[in-house]
Amino acid sequence: MWNAEVLKSLVAVTCPCQMVQSHSRLYPPHTVARHQVSGACSECEEEALWVIMCASVKYNIRGPALIPRMKTKHRIYYITLFSIVLLGLIATGMFQFWPHSIESSSDWSVQKRSIRDVPVVRLPADSPVPERGDLSCRMHTCFDVYRCGFNPKNKIKVYIYSLKKYVDDAGVPVSSTISQEYNELLTAVSDSDYYTEDITRACLFIPSIDLLNQNALRVKETAQALAQLSRWDRGTNHLLFNMLPGGPPDYNTALDVPRDRALLAGGGFSTWTYRQGYDVSIPVYSPLSAEVDLPEKGPGPRRYFLLSSQMALHPEYREELAALQARHGEAALVLDKCTNLSEGIPAARKRCHKHQVFDYPQVLQEATFCVVLRGARLGQAVLSDVLRAGCVPVIIADSYILPFSEVLDWKRASVAVPEEKMPHVYSILQSIPQRQIEEMQRQKWGSVSNPLFLPLIPPQSQGFTAIVLTYDRVESLFRVITEVSKVPSLSKLLVVWNNQNKNPPEDSLWPKIRVPLKVVRTAENKLSNRFFPYDEIETEAVLAIDDDIIMLTSDELQFGYEVWREFPDRLVGYPGRLHLWDHEMSKWKYESEWTNEVSMVLTGAAFYHKYFNYLYTYKMPGDIKNWVDAHMNCEDIAMNFLVANVTGKAVIKVTPRKKFKCPECTAIDGLSLDQTHMVERSECINKFASVFGTMPLKVVEHRADPVLYKDDFPEKLKSFPNIGSL
Amino acid sequence: MQSWRRKSLWLALLASWLLVLLEVFPLLHLAVPTRPRAGAPQGWPRWLDAELLQSFARPGELLEDGPQPPQALRGGSCNWGACFDTSKCRGGGLKVFVYPAAGPVSETHRRILASIEGSRYHTLSAAEACLLLLLSPDTPTGECDPVPPQWDGGRNHLVLSLHPAPCPRTFQRGQAMVAEASPTVDTFRPGFDVALPLLPEAHPLRGGAPGQLRQHSPRPGVALLALAEDRGRWHMAGTDFSACPWDGRCEQDRGPKQTHPGATLPNATFCLIPGRSPDALHFLQALQAGCIPVLLSPRWELPFSEVIDWTKAAIVADERLPLQVLTALQEMPLTRVLALRQQTQFLWDAYFSSVEKVIHTTLEIIQDRIFGASAHPSLLWNSPPGAILALPTFSPSPSDFPFYHLQQGSRPLGRFSALIWVGAPGQPPLKLIQAVAGSQHCAQILVLWSSEKPSPTRWPKTAVPLTVIDGHRKVDFAFVVWQSFPERMVGFLTWSHFWDEARGGWGYTAKRTNEFSMVLTSAAFYHRYYHTLFTHSLPKALRTLADEAPTCVDVLMNFLVASVTKLPPIKVPYGMWHQEARPPPLEPGGPGLRQEPQPAAQNCINQMAAGFGHMPLVSSRLRLDPVLFKDPVSVLRKKYRSLEKP
Repeated sequence: MWNAEVLKSLVAVTCPCQMVQSHSRLYPPHTVARHQVSGACSECEEEALWVIMCASVKYNIRGPALIPRMKTKHRIYYITLFSIVLLGLIATGMFQFWPHSIESSSDWSVQKRSIRDVPVVRLPADSPVPERGDLSCRMHTCFDVYRCGFNPKNKIKVYIYSLKKYVDDAGVPVSSTISQEYNELLTAVSDSDYYTEDITRACLFIPSIDLLNQNALRVKETAQALAQLSRWDRGTNHLLFNMLPGGPPDYNTALDVPRDRALLAGGGFSTWTYRQGYDVSIPVYSPLSAEVDLPEKGPGPRRYFLLSSQMALHPEYREELAALQARHGEAALVLDKCTNLSEGIPAARKRCHKHQVFDYPQVLQEATFCVVLRGARLGQAVLSDVLRAGCVPVIIADSYILPFSEVLDWKRASVAVPEEKMPHVYSILQSIPQRQIEEMQRQKWGSVSNPLFLPLIPPQSQGFTAIVLTYDRVESLFRVITEVSKVPSLSKLLVVWNNQNKNPPEDSLWPKIRVPLKVVRTAENKLSNRFFPYDEIETEAVLAIDDDIIMLTSDELQFGYEVWREFPDRLVGYPGRLHLWDHEMSKWKYESEWTNEVSMVLTGAAFYHKYFNYLYTYKMPGDIKNWVDAHMNCEDIAMNFLVANVTGKAVIKVTPRKKFKCPECTAIDGLSLDQTHMVERSECINKFASVFGTMPLKVVEHRADPVLYKDDFPEKLKSFPNIGSL
Repeated sequence: MQSWRRKSLWLALLASWLLVLLEVFPLLHLAVPTRPRAGAPQGWPRWLDAELLQSFARPGELLEDGPQPPQALRGGSCNWGACFDTSKCRGGGLKVFVYPAAGPVSETHRRILASIEGSRYHTLSAAEACLLLLLSPDTPTGECDPVPPQWDGGRNHLVLSLHPAPCPRTFQRGQAMVAEASPTVDTFRPGFDVALPLLPEAHPLRGGAPGQLRQHSPRPGVALLALAEDRGRWHMAGTDFSACPWDGRCEQDRGPKQTHPGATLPNATFCLIPGRSPDALHFLQALQAGCIPVLLSPRWELPFSEVIDWTKAAIVADERLPLQVLTALQEMPLTRVLALRQQTQFLWDAYFSSVEKVIHTTLEIIQDRIFGASAHPSLLWNSPPGAILALPTFSPSPSDFPFYHLQQGSRPLGRFSALIWVGAPGQPPLKLIQAVAGSQHCAQILVLWSSEKPSPTRWPKTAVPLTVIDGHRKVDFAFVVWQSFPERMVGFLTWSHFWDEARGGWGYTAKRTNEFSMVLTSAAFYHRYYHTLFTHSLPKALRTLADEAPTCVDVLMNFLVASVTKLPPIKVPYGMWHQEARPPPLEPGGPGLRQEPQPAAQNCINQMAAGFGHMPLVSSRLRLDPVLFKDPVSVLRKKYRSLEKP
């Protein structure tokens, strides 16, 4: 997985044009690769066919010239025709008998070669060496963005130099050709969408010279090898990977190979060597975690509170750890190398405490906190093991730049303790509440957030836009328009004419009102037309109202708008409904009775932010939108789900219950129809809950009334006296 | 003849076929595999002997990384671990000593000093301080200070300069941290120095102007782009900006020019800001205006970059790719535009709108470094109300605060503690205790007895929770409402504030009106975190004021909560038991539970407003009632029927 991580971070950090994309997005390179291969294959089939056709045409033209004695035109014609047919047959046959080479794309698109066949390049002793790494490099000074602008959608393209074996004058290899891990890494890059074969279109260049371990290479000669790469150009736009930097005795925290302006993805950077916004910090890969399959472990207390599993620790540190163990007994466990292991057991997979032997890395799962202590290098492979085991890492390495620190918030999944505070590490950890420990164990990096998170009460002067959805009930519609137009804060009225068979009434027939009135004609009779983000909506607040809601008073509507201003991220509506869990049927049930609770409001009369129109139209999950249009029902429930899901908040029901003419049931008030209606609505809830994968609706027990509602206070002094009258 | 001709014909045909076949086959062989190979991607080869490849590290090399002694101090550059002595801060956390100014003090300096002295970090003794703060002189003519007495190589010093240093440094910064406005990235030491915003001359000391964004709208009918120009001016470009709009390269067709003298706030969705240091001034303007800053290859460190996640509020683009940047801005999804704009407003209001906030943020960052593991998580820095108002000493877990339940997907715990304050002489509030204890959510009751009478020897039996008498639902309902709004105060009795034209100041009243902006804390639900905030974050002067006039406590608490939430409190119906405690009903509009605030108390609201730098109170016109409140249905159906009684 870290290959994908490396790739993601590499792109996030190095791509100047992708600034608009969110950092947290992860591209699954493997799926992309598969897709690309199959695409390439169908392309080669086409191309093969085309070649054969060309060949046959060519020979047919030449054919007659080869037979000069042919005089009869029609014989020539005959022969020509015959040869075409035969050639066609042969070609088809060949095509048929060539199945493997065409279908198995790996043979075609990827070469099968042996490492031993890699060309050898001899480096003269006096070939140029790049400058040392330039510590002042930043994206805008050392990175050439002009190479990155060629590709559609601003996607950066990565080129990988082909593998070569470098030897010095004496024929001695400069480094080992390539390691298993680097090969895997390059394969992942090559399989991803970022890969390009075309060196002229590439924005980033990755040398195939393996620099993962500085101990395994000769510093000066490797630098010479880098300098002779065809597009090196002082290392501009070159990305180098390194996990084990430095060497004895001083162990530099960044690769010692002179690299000039090249970007470095390194494990073990310190604040001294890390170029913020230019370099990328990566974890040190641990082969152990990849080998061993550790089961996932939920959060909760573990057998040991604190565990140290590293083998080569400085005696001073070990002393301090031993003191910790002495003080806290069973809760702390300090492991060391096993001294008396029998033959054949890999020492890397065992740890010992006195005479007790533990399996590694399994033992990490037994601890709540695991110490990751600096060695000679800051980046420790044990960090990968610890994270994989679900143990919370306690990082004791001053100035260490944690992997991908620019995009990951390590505070949420680890504890950093300064080296000088090591004696107090136990008490520091004990002061962390259990709840927070569990959050760390979950290693949750992301979180949901409300799209309208800023607490803000919109100015009253803006007013609201009323949207009336209508089909053909003109008389009722006109009454609604007249009523709504009395509301002081109304700023515009939009009629969505959903009837394609009938024209809206002539202009002269419409009621004369004080605000602009616009009629929008729709192309199709769909319920979702009600929630379309029409350009005509200029205010933030939208009042969705059915063409038969004539019972709401002007005071009630104005008050509803005032309530919406205080809760602009919620649905604020009049008739409230509830969802209930039916234990017998094990599914959700829709409830419209007089209940003490509310979880939905009907959009037959509701205020909401116009942004939710945009979300409904373009971001509704799954097939809900089509489902609603097909069933001609439940658009309001869908809106309730959508808003509750993105905001995590409940609806606000305003003003007391009224005798609504059951806005959701259409014509007849018959009992049987009412019941089928309830069944349908219940089905909607169950359907939406399955699409959303959760039940986002929140149940509340309150509704909003004016401050002085039903108070012993003169009516004429109340702002909204006409509320709740039947 | 004919047979010969026929034979020769067949022969020729055969020959030609042979030729054709011979030539076509090898051609096919060649053509078919090679053509696609040239065009289709080859990729990194799958090595036949990949299995044989060695690991990059020898077995055991990773595990037995050579041991290294604890790190010694390194010369040259500085980082936190090496150059700051945290042992000095062990006792009382971050204590800051400010060197007195040597010469005449400028206005800005005076403000900075005032804001530090009023903060919870300040100490008067250099010996007990863990951070020594040196204000670098900002008067262009002023003399540069000599090296201060406790300098010690700059260890545990913070050199603060709100404006780029006008006088050449007289001493090496050494191990001192530098808090500087818009430092260049080359000299900035991440994790050690602090990047400050470049503040305009007349930046207010306290409070500060609110953000300009008045609605949650991605593009509220304004220009798409504003370009930063000299001296804090902006040039508005409409949606048609196709002709290379910056660096003065397209001087001819600049379209309708709307430049204003002096600092005006840009009214646009995106604000393009060049990367040169003087342009940093534009950054704050854009932030305040809710105009998303688009920084073109900034050469300066973004303010407070150590803790603020600027990817959530600004865009850093490469100035060398103008067309790509413009396309990207045009195509940016509305959802992201909306989120960015809101974040600019939050950040402006939380960290930048006043000198005090900038200074406190700086100190908070340094305190976070000292705290290490128990510092603010990034979430607390980057979501409302911001890290200054979310004290990490309260709890390291975000779910303990009232603000982050949404992000955390959690809910406040279903229990509350009742804190009853008994001050006025009279009968002990036994009834109240019983009513509170009757709530199913009550976990404990604390009685704060501050009356002059001795406390009664006999309390109702209070093995917490108190013996439940009968279902008292009034308190329950308020609590259930509070669970939906954990960051607000939920109360029964309310006051409202108003601007008194006649006296030219604020006033407030307990009269029943159509709106309210404060709830009485004597009967209100609010998160216990606000107690911590009340005690630890408010300036001492305000708390003293509140101690002197008891009604001021209510005002102050409401000010505090409103300045954190920017929202009004919530009123719930109060049913019967408060009416018992109320004086007999007076004429409508008469005083409520308490007497009309005394003139002295009236003045307290103005002193509070001065202390906060602005009026944080927000009015509400609604009350939250139970869903079936006073509805014409059977009382038996109603859950909170006790609230129905007249």
